Amino acid sequence: GKNCSCAWLFWWSVLCSASQKATIPVSNDTRDLLLATVSEDSTASQIHQSVSALSALGLPLASQEVVSALKARISKEDNVLAIILALLTASRLSQQAELGDILEEIEDLAARLDDLGGVYLQFEEGLEATALFVSAAYSLSDHVDMEPPLKEDQVIQLVNSIFSKKSWDSLSEAFSVASAAASLSNNHFHVPVIVSAQGPAAVSHSHPFLRLQVTDVLCQPLSSASVLAESASAVSSKSAVLSQALFTLRDGVFELNFMASQPASGYYQFSVAIAGDSRFVANHVELKVKVSTRVAINNMDLSVVDKDQSIGPKTTRVEYPTKAKASFMADGHQNFAMTFQLVDETTGVELTPHQTFVRLHNQKTGQEVVFVAEPDSKNLYKFELDTAERKTEFDSISGTYALYLMVGDATLENPILWNVADVVLKFLDEEAPGTIQAKTLYVPKPEIPHLFREPEKKPPTAVSNTFTALVLSPFLLLLILWFKLGANISNFTLSPSTILFHIGHAATLGLMYVYWTHLNMFQTLKYLAIIGSLTFLAGNRMLAQKAVKRYKKI
Amino acid sequence: MSNSVFSVISRFVEEYRSSTPNKLKMIDAYLLYILLTGVFQFLYCVLVGTFPFNSFLSGFISCVGSFILAVCLRIQINPQNKRDFQTVSPERAFADFLFAHTILHLVVVNFVG
Repeated sequence: GKNCSCAWLFWWSVLCSASQKATIPVSNDTRDLLLATVSEDSTASQIHQSVSALSALGLPLASQEVVSALKARISKEDNVLAIILALLTASRLSQQAELGDILEEIEDLAARLDDLGGVYLQFEEGLEATALFVSAAYSLSDHVDMEPPLKEDQVIQLVNSIFSKKSWDSLSEAFSVASAAASLSNNHFHVPVIVSAQGPAAVSHSHPFLRLQVTDVLCQPLSSASVLAESASAVSSKSAVLSQALFTLRDGVFELNFMASQPASGYYQFSVAIAGDSRFVANHVELKVKVSTRVAINNMDLSVVDKDQSIGPKTTRVEYPTKAKASFMADGHQNFAMTFQLVDETTGVELTPHQTFVRLHNQKTGQEVVFVAEPDSKNLYKFELDTAERKTEFDSISGTYALYLMVGDATLENPILWNVADVVLKFLDEEAPGTIQAKTLYVPKPEIPHLFREPEKKPPTAVSNTFTALVLSPFLLLLILWFKLGANISNFTLSPSTILFHIGHAATLGLMYVYWTHLNMFQTLKYLAIIGSLTFLAGNRMLAQKAVKRYKKI
Repeated sequence: MSNSVFSVISRFVEEYRSSTPNKLKMIDAYLLYILLTGVFQFLYCVLVGTFPFNSFLSGFISCVGSFILAVCLRIQINPQNKRDFQTVSPERAFADFLFAHTILHLVVVNFVG
């Protein structure tokens, strides 16, 4: 009951105040209801709604009571949204009230913001909370006329976060962003400045003006600002071209005639400062500006040079964009050569663009070969074609090739494709392929068969057999020696343990042979356990008997 | 010089023949057999090649191991060493010899391939 009424009254009062009715009749009960909501027991949201309703309806309220209720709610609820609502509520109270504690909450909340990569600053609760925080903080700061404790970096990062999305999930999120944008463009302390180039940041002789749009976050132009290019230096050579140049305002856009400083073509780093209002934040920007130019080709000389230098070169000059009338012939004995200069059309300064290619196109076969022309130390471009050296690129196909010069660069306004001449190339006929085939790059490659491991080379069987016999021969020697020494088995007793021992011992040896041929270690160990234990017991008994006999003899 | 070496050798041989008991001489014959077997295996490896290297190693180690065990048996059986082996009777030495040989042959047969 109370909740709904408060909310309803809040929205109704907002509507009424928006429609600017001078007095709105409100009953005493309504007023009492709203005043009663202002207490520790209501939520921060309810307090905000009732205070806003009361202030919109022009009813008196006890600011100090509101402050203590808010402080109690902040310590109880302690979430970001509640504190933001407290800030918004406080901005509607009388300026005589003690709002110091509530004002300190701004700093505490700012400490809770998450720094993402040094670029974004936002609450983990999301974009809406961050945007509402910004609008609440600035509205309270304006109300008490005290600068919010937000540093320039933080403001820049907050702006990055709040305006990072181009479409929003909900109407309330969109509202929060709009509300933040309004606060940031219209508060007493911090006004972030947005600087962007109108169109591409590029100048040339046909477009000599660098145009910048300087606005606040609502894209309203800041006409009172003064825009100064503090310095401009070339990116490649770091030499300064401009210093302390003022932009002029024309039709809401700030412009500067950069070409008046006659910069060479290339990229320049501008450092721009926007002054005019002490509230400006983020008013130093760095910009990269491109200066384009038109290129002209001078002194294009084509010649056929004899390799053994016996005949002097014939040089033909060709003017752009015409084509040489006669075609040039080059075979194994001659080289075809080309020299030219690339200059800036207006200033005559030599240029070295990124792309200077020489393309030879065989009109009959459709073959195309591209080479790079390199500049020497004096920036004179040279291209030489030795037919004997380059025959692989051409597949040794003789014929008439159209020669094109291709010049291009990011800073050139007029890239060039110029059919300079026709060149007849002659290769040794026997090397030319019978049929011209398109380069087969993407066909399946020949299969690589798997090579199994070659078995090792074995020595001939005769050798192996000889050595086997040799290795076994000492056994024969042993038997002979033992016989000579008089080995005998006269002490052999026929007791069961002796027989069992010898059988067991023979079985062990037999097991070794079977292990070598058939079994694995586990099976062998199993059998060995059985045979071994029998042999051990029998052998133990047999040896004990022998020992007894020996003692008796002694 | 060579005279004295020759006389030392002939004296050694005489002493060996007369004072060594028969049992030890039999073990010595066995040792000679093992030695020759090992030498011939090594000769094959040097001359022909190490193709089944694991087989060569296993055979050679078998010879070396057997030689060592037989030497141990000889030392323990020798009555002149009785003082050093009070707890080990000749029968016990022989039993140890057989047991160690079983383990050696288990490993050798495993490795010979």
